[in-house]
Parts: sequence; structure tokens; C-alpha cells
Amino acid sequence: MMQQFSAGSEVGDSDSNSGAGPAMRPMPSPGRRRSLLSGRNTRPVFGVVLLWLAVCLVVWSGSGPATADLPESLVARQQQRIQTIERISPSVVCVMPPGGQGGGSGVLISADGYAISNYHVTSGSGDFMKCGLNDGKVYDAVIVGIDPTGDVALIRLLGRDDFPFCTPGNSDLVRTGDEVIALGNPFLLASDYTPTVTCGIVSGVHRYQYPAGTFLEYTDCIQIDASINPGNSGGPLFDIDGNWIGINGRASFEKRGRINTGAAYAISVRQVLLFIDHLKSGRIVDHGRVGFTVRTSPEGLVEVEQVSQLSEAWRRGLRQGDEIVSFAGRSLSSANDFKNILGIFPEGTRLPLAWRDSEGVRRVTVRLQPLHGFDEAPPLPQERQSEPEPRRPGDGDEQDPEDQSEKNPAEKDPVPDQYAHLFERRKGFANYYFNRQHQDRLLKPMAAQTSASAKDQRGRWLLQVKLETEAGPKTGELGIGSDAAWLQVDGLNSALQSRTDYDPQNEPVEFSGLLAGMMQWHRMSQNDQTLFSETVYHGSENLLPSGDHVDVLITQDGVITSRWYFQADVPWPVGVDIHLSAGEDEVRLRFRDWRIDGPLPCPGKIGVVDSDTEQIRWIGVESVRVSVGEEAGAAVSQSRSEVSS
Amino acid sequence: MRLLCVVFLIVLVPGGASSVAEPPDIHDVVEAQQETVVKLFGAGVGNLDSYGSGVLISEQGHVATVWNHLINTGFLTAVVADGRRYTVQVVGTSLEHDLAILKLNSDDDETFSFVDWKASDEALTGETVLAFSNVYHVATGNEPVSVVHGVIAGKSLLKAGFGRWQFPISTPVYILDAVTNNSGAAGGLLTSQDGRPLGLLGREIRHRDTDMWVNYAVPFTTLQPAITTMLAGRRVQPSAATGDDRKMLSDRVLTSAFGLTLLPGVLKRTPAYVDRVIPDSPAAAAGLQRGDLVLMVNEDVIQSVNDLRASLAGFRRGQRVTLTLNRNNSLQVTELRIP
Repeated sequence: MMQQFSAGSEVGDSDSNSGAGPAMRPMPSPGRRRSLLSGRNTRPVFGVVLLWLAVCLVVWSGSGPATADLPESLVARQQQRIQTIERISPSVVCVMPPGGQGGGSGVLISADGYAISNYHVTSGSGDFMKCGLNDGKVYDAVIVGIDPTGDVALIRLLGRDDFPFCTPGNSDLVRTGDEVIALGNPFLLASDYTPTVTCGIVSGVHRYQYPAGTFLEYTDCIQIDASINPGNSGGPLFDIDGNWIGINGRASFEKRGRINTGAAYAISVRQVLLFIDHLKSGRIVDHGRVGFTVRTSPEGLVEVEQVSQLSEAWRRGLRQGDEIVSFAGRSLSSANDFKNILGIFPEGTRLPLAWRDSEGVRRVTVRLQPLHGFDEAPPLPQERQSEPEPRRPGDGDEQDPEDQSEKNPAEKDPVPDQYAHLFERRKGFANYYFNRQHQDRLLKPMAAQTSASAKDQRGRWLLQVKLETEAGPKTGELGIGSDAAWLQVDGLNSALQSRTDYDPQNEPVEFSGLLAGMMQWHRMSQNDQTLFSETVYHGSENLLPSGDHVDVLITQDGVITSRWYFQADVPWPVGVDIHLSAGEDEVRLRFRDWRIDGPLPCPGKIGVVDSDTEQIRWIGVESVRVSVGEEAGAAVSQSRSEVSS
Repeated sequence: MRLLCVVFLIVLVPGGASSVAEPPDIHDVVEAQQETVVKLFGAGVGNLDSYGSGVLISEQGHVATVWNHLINTGFLTAVVADGRRYTVQVVGTSLEHDLAILKLNSDDDETFSFVDWKASDEALTGETVLAFSNVYHVATGNEPVSVVHGVIAGKSLLKAGFGRWQFPISTPVYILDAVTNNSGAAGGLLTSQDGRPLGLLGREIRHRDTDMWVNYAVPFTTLQPAITTMLAGRRVQPSAATGDDRKMLSDRVLTSAFGLTLLPGVLKRTPAYVDRVIPDSPAAAAGLQRGDLVLMVNEDVIQSVNDLRASLAGFRRGQRVTLTLNRNNSLQVTELRIP
């Protein structure tokens, strides 16, 4: 390899200055350089090139020794920039696989050591990795959660509870032309982990980058012209005030090989924050799909191309040719806009959707269904060898976590003993340990509140209820047991028996889903997770229609999937959305005004969400009795006979 | 036409190195200039891109761009900033300016934002510049084109090209400290930090001596006479310096060795049409047919029989070259072995 390099150098020796101007430097022949890029031993040469480019950038930005004839405002601005860089540098992480080669970058987001990086950086690094900070120290870190589609990974640095961390900004306010600062470890240049700083401007916002032969999709990303090179991946992008606005993860590479071409892409902080609790769940996090496709019409409208008849959008009435007006609260003018909005939300999120059809504008909500459903961390596509492929539109993009590191001091090091318990392997998870922590966080307070009434929890509950129906206010009894639920209200008499044999016809009109939902609540309140085939902490979201921020815990009971919503400081769920069977609408219940003065904790109000109108019909709970005898069974048979009559 | 377009007027800020006046807000400059850059789409050939950039230079929708493969292969469409899409006709080309002037096939009452290329002045070395283009085809439809920043590193004659193709501009161009030598950037707009139009971003070429990719832009001050001439509907006459003193294959060799006869070069620029192919010859092996129009040899644009004869003279025996042909209005690519 070195031979090739010297051969290349000779080319550069001949008449290197003829009319080339100061931008020209004697360089080895690019023909050689391209083949050199596949050679690991020569990477430091490109570090030198990068440094030289970085110097040029600094010159542009008006740096250099402050002199008396410079305007004061300029000098002050420069000083401010230096201070900003000093302030943000401690949060930048150099991510290295233990003992291995290569690595990338990351950024600390909280004092307890959580740090964001790229999936394509951590995927080759194993469950435990080494992280260098600009204090010169190397810390152990463990994988927490991964988002392969969004190319984001969450890791946790260990050994301190006072890690420096960055301050997130609002990436939605970023404008083309804004000055930006990228920090990271291109070519792993710094042996003391002081991050390399490159400056640039925002070249474009709301960019969409196709998956291009892989599953890594960059949506709604920020395009920058700051130098981004191998090793920068996973590192933070800051605005000029030092607010964290993105994760540098991708660049358009082409004929020069894998070095900066002035077109790099950062995942927006908005997307990262929407996923952050999902990543903390330790899961392999997925992105979503809506069950319909769109295209940009010749008139510049976003038009529905095809709708799956199994989709929620279809059940709400969306049809081919309808015009999408807004999605997740954002208006749109192209199919790319739609993909940009869709791509920043995790699977399972319920989002507002508005469209125009012949009858006017319809506003509904739809839940994002899983896009890939990875059970295991998917392997990255084969890295491109030596010569670049012929270009195609949308091609020419490559992620590269790998870089030769001769000074990587992280020696071959097995999993550190004191941290071994922080990792649990399980299908569907990057690290199940973290999921268990969150399950305990949500479920233990509920268990503590109800342990005194354990016997009553197991009985049949008889709730005196008051409800507003279309025929006026009514009162009656709502009965709930482990395998049956019934409503005894004049005109609404109904009963469900057997949780698993569900027929929505048996639900009370106007309050459809109430009985199936309450049966799941009865099961949940037993505080025995073995009653469910699986319990998983999912992450957090804004619960619709209220918009409250909630934690999401998912239980699986046969084919019945329930999403339980927990709000800070309320030990019991504030709602549950239950998926009973494919092609059917979810049952969506909301719980308010929890009371613990009766025999068991019970919500003062139970709401049933109507998915067609997004309105909630509330049922008031007047009082609660518990029955452990025959009485309840009699009530069920009575209700059933009424239903059948 | 229901669409109206506001004509963008360049605000000229009194220049001069001694001026310490605050430059206008970069966001305003970016937004205004993005309006004047169009996305060009044509036919890609081999590993050449099917997309590029251009700059609106008149209210009626004239566009200046680099005269590269995209222009020659025809089927060109342009998308302006608000997403309107037009077919395009080539108004004129100038070899020695490496320039093509296009006209959007718009309605008579449509107007467009454009840059005031007539008022363009010289940029100083060291001046901060912005480069606007649809680099890497990142923007589609009405999405704004990309902008990168940099510095004018110098103004210099450029000794560049590949194969037989020589960079045709014999006056100094801006050398940029900004990575503009990228797919799709050619024909984009170079402005100063305060929005003064400075030039057209150059094509993807390498320096002859260093073999490095060169980031350059052709100053509007160099292009002004040619643009004026072409907008007036006249042809730009090549100067004596670009006359044909090239080494060329003789017609006799072409026929005997290649098995290929071209149309006789009676005009100054007789198109490179194939007149006859001798069976069992290298030309026949390459699948050439009577009536084929040779558009390119490798990445060299072929504009005449003389271009083709000169281009083929530049290769050694046994080399394989890629010919791009127009056959019955469709593009064909074939490989020819040099005998």
C-alpha cells in the first residue's frame, strides 16, 4: 500500500503549481487514492488532509489572532464561539469497541451517563464498549436500546453519576444558512479524546434520504456542509449557541472515497427525543407505517395512492385519490413531506391525520404499525469494497463507522465483572435489563397500593355507574370478573363471557369496548404478571385525545394486546388501548379520579373513546362492591338472558 | 396562468475591502438565491448523472448552465424553485465558455426570479462565497436547493480535463475552497455572502498535473459577452485559438482500420453521423449502424466528425472506449475496441 502511495506522490511532484491557485496541493493521483481508501494502513494520510481542510474552515470563520483593527463585535463573536466549543466539548463521546478496531462518536444527554450514537457505530461494538471523554479518561459503557431503521443507538456510560451532558435545542427551528458546529472523532485523530471541531452552515432542512439498499432511512434530517468524515458518525451537531440539534450520521460519498464532500446529514434532535424513552426501554425499536401510500400529484397535492383494507385509515374512511391535508399536525406539500413526518415517530404512536375528500375535511387519528419488526439486531449491509459503484439517483450514500485506529488504547477486555449484571440478552431486545427496570418502576407503585386488598382484587367487582346515553342519564351496575363482564343499565344491558372469545356485538351500544377493556383491567390489577404471556415497557408518547405525556407498558393476553398508559405520580394507569383482533378497531378506555377509599382502588370516571369522532363518553363510578360468592354469576346469567331475549 | 412569480432584484451592497458594514442576514440571501436556481433533469449515460443545476438569467425563463453531457443528450426538463416543471430548449452554446443557454418552455405571461448577471463584478480572493446547486439530487420538486459556503481561494487559469478533452476556458476562473465538485452541482450559482452573483459552478473535472478534483466557478464577467450574444439570438463565434489544429485520424484510417465511414465533413461542424459500417470490422463488432449519431466517446462530448476523429486518435491500440449514440431518438451505449 505504501508503495502505491509513493508512486502517487511522484505524480504530484510534476509542475504542481501551474495555474492551479492556492487551493491546489501536490497530491497522489486520485486514481490511486481511490484504491488506497480500501487500505486501512494509509488512513492517517487522510487525517492530514482533513486537518488541512479544517484549518481552511477556521480561516473562513474569521478566526485567528484578534487584532486591534478588527471590529469589536467580531472579536466578541469569536470569543463566544471559543467559549461555546469549550462548553460543549465535554459531552462528546469517542465510542470504541473493546479491544477492537474502529469506532465512532456519541454525545452524553444526562448526568447518569446516557449517550446517543449511531446504530451503525454501536452495531459492531458488542454489548459493552469503551468510551473516551475529553477529560482523557476511558469509561465502560453498555448498550441500552437500538433503532436500526433510524440509525440511532442509546448507550450508558458507567462509573459516574455526574457526567457532563449537552442541552437539546429545537431542531424544528433550524434554518438553511444557520452556522453549525460538528464535534466528533473523525479518523479517531485525538489520542486524548479531545473531539475534533468542524464548522459549517446548514445546506438544507427537512431532507429525506432513501434507505438506498439498506434499512437505514434518514427522514426529516438536516443537511450540512461542515466536514463529516468516517469516525464522525454518532457525534453531535450543535447550533452556534451550543444547543444540540442533531446526530451526524450520514454523508454523500462518491468519487473521492469516504471523505467529506460537503454534503452530510444529521438526524434531528426532535426525532431522537421522540425515540428516547423507547430506546431507554432496552428494546429493538421500530419505525412505523400507516397502511396507505401517497404520491405528489401533478398539481402539487399529496394524494392517496393505495389504501390497505386492513388499515385503520381504511376503517376511518380514507380512500384512493383523497388529498392528505396534514399529518401529525404538520401541513404537507409533497410525498417526501409525508415520509419525513412519518419517519420521525416510533412504531405504535397514534398520530392525527386530516384529509380532504368529496365531503370535506376529515380529522381522525391512526396508530403506526410496525415497519420491520426486527427480532434481532439486523446486520448492516456489506461495506462497499474499494471502488465506488456507478452512481444512481438516491445512491452514493454510505455509512462508515469503521476507521483504522492505531492509538486505540482500549485493550482486549472482557465484560467488566462489576457491570456484567447490567446486560440481559433476550429476543426483541438490545438489553432486557433496562426493560425490567422500567416495568418495576411502573408496576411496583400499583402493587404497593393494592396489596392490602389482594383478596378483593381477585373477586368480582360491582360498580354502581351513572352514564349519559342518547336516551338521557341512566344508572346501573357494571360487573367485572376475571372471565366475565356485564352492564346492567336499562336499554344497554349486555354481557361478555370469556375474555378470549370476543364479539364486539356483545358490547353495549354507545360504549363499545367497555366490557372487554374492564376485563383486561381486572386481570392487570391482580399484580401478577404471569397472567400475561408477555409484559414489556414500550417507551413514552403523547396520549390522544388528551395529549398528556405518558409511559407505555404493553401486556399480551393470548391474542389480546393492551397498551397501558401511566402518568407521573399516578400509581394506576390513566388509560388503556386494547387490540382484540386484526382488522378491528381498538378499544380505548381512559381512567380518571382514582379513589382508594373503597374496598379496592377504582377510577372515579371511566371514559370510552369513540375512534370515529375522537370524543370520550364518560361513565361515573358512584360506588364499588366486591362479591366473592354466587351472586355475580347470577347477574351474568340474568344479563345474558336479557341479551338473548 | 394562475401562477405568478415575484421578480427578484439583487440588492447591490457597495463593495470594497475596507467596508465593515454588516452583511445582510444570510437567511434572506439564501432564500432569495434559492429562487433563481433550477434543477435540471435529463438522461444519464454510463456513470454520468441524469441531473444537474442551472441559473435563471432572465425574467422570461432563460437558464445558464454548463455545457456538459446533460445538455447534449436531449430530453431535458427543468424544475423551478416553486416546483413548476418545464421542458427546455437549447438556445445556444459556446464551446470556449463551456456554456449553454436554455429557455424554459413557459407560457408567455409567466415570469421568473433571476440573477442580475449583467451587474456582476469581480470577486476578491479571500471573499466568502455561497454555492447553490442541486448537488447529489438531494432536493426534489419544490424543495429548496442545497447551499454550501466557502472562500474564493484564487483566480487562476485552469489546466484541467480528462482524456483528450481539454478544459476550454482560456481565461482565469475562480478556484473555490468549498467542495462544489460534486454530482449535480455543475451549472449552479456562486454568489458573495451578500448575494451578489459571481459565477456558474463548474463541472466535475480534475487538474491535469495534480489529478485532484477542482472546485471552480466561471465568473459571470467572463460569460457576459457570450450570454448577451446568445440571448440576442446570435451564435457565439469560436475564436481562432479554438480552431481545429488537433491531431486527427484520417478518414482513410478510419475506414481501413475501424471499418467506419462518417458523413463527409463539409460543414464547420458536421454532426458525427455514421455513414457506413464495414462487416467484420471493429465498428461492426461494436454494433454501429448506418445513421447512428455519435454523441460521446467515454465522457468526451462529440460535436462534430472532427471531434470524433480527434477523440479516437487519442487512444492506444487495444483500448476499449464507450460510445454513446443516438439511434432513432433513443440513446445507445456500446463499446468499441481501438484497432
